[in-house]
Amino acid sequence: MVKFYQHTFSFEHAWDNVTYAFWLRYPNPFASHVIGCDVIDRHVDPDTGVLRTTRLIHKQGVMPRWGRHLIKNADAYIVEESEVDPKTQTMVTRTKNLNHVRVMQVEETLTFTVHPENPKWTQVKTEARIVSEMRWGLTGRVENFGITKFMDNSVRARKGMAHILERLRHNAALAG
Amino acid sequence: MSSSIGEKCTKIKQEYDSCFNSWYSERFLKGDASPMCDDLFFKYKDCLLKTLEEKKLDTLLADARKENPFPNTSTSSSSSSSTESGKKE
Repeated sequence: MVKFYQHTFSFEHAWDNVTYAFWLRYPNPFASHVIGCDVIDRHVDPDTGVLRTTRLIHKQGVMPRWGRHLIKNADAYIVEESEVDPKTQTMVTRTKNLNHVRVMQVEETLTFTVHPENPKWTQVKTEARIVSEMRWGLTGRVENFGITKFMDNSVRARKGMAHILERLRHNAALAG
Repeated sequence: MSSSIGEKCTKIKQEYDSCFNSWYSERFLKGDASPMCDDLFFKYKDCLLKTLEEKKLDTLLADARKENPFPNTSTSSSSSSSTESGKKE
């Protein structure tokens, strides 16, 4: 079973700053479950000038009571692949969980572009796919839990980014 | 700055992160993609690869990365065109 989710929102910050904040977003007060984040690979494509990065993110999750027998170890690892094209001002990030994939696989793609109506803002498109391969009548429940949890997490992720962006704006104001 | 998954790599990771942050905001976004933090990155990666092996995350990660996350970009176009030529034969 598969569930899809799509959402578009904006940050009232310039694209440069939003993509910069993306690298700085951990730690923040809305992501206390993130324990570590590492850069596995990073290079600039010599032909296109696009920056490609692979990061590994370590999260400590909390499972609902009915799910505890499915996942004993609440440690989750997320792989995040991203591309930044400074010429077209486009950043695309794709994340998916590495473990617990039989219970639930969440793939999320974020596309950051300059806001079409305000060049000082950034538009972010979120697309997600949630898949569960469980076959014991739990699939629907797992996926509903997945989508609810995913939406909660998206809200928290946006708050985290907004927090970092405000900090950057504050620092820039002090420096300026 | 965030910690590394391997505790012992956190210091070098944060040194690398500071370098990358300056490079990204002051150079890359301004059109200069020449490398600046490679030495730090190699040192950091050395430490990290050992950690990933110890935690048995290396194979998990390799499997997950087999799939191209950006099938529409230039890096994958060579493989898709070879598939096309393969079909014609």
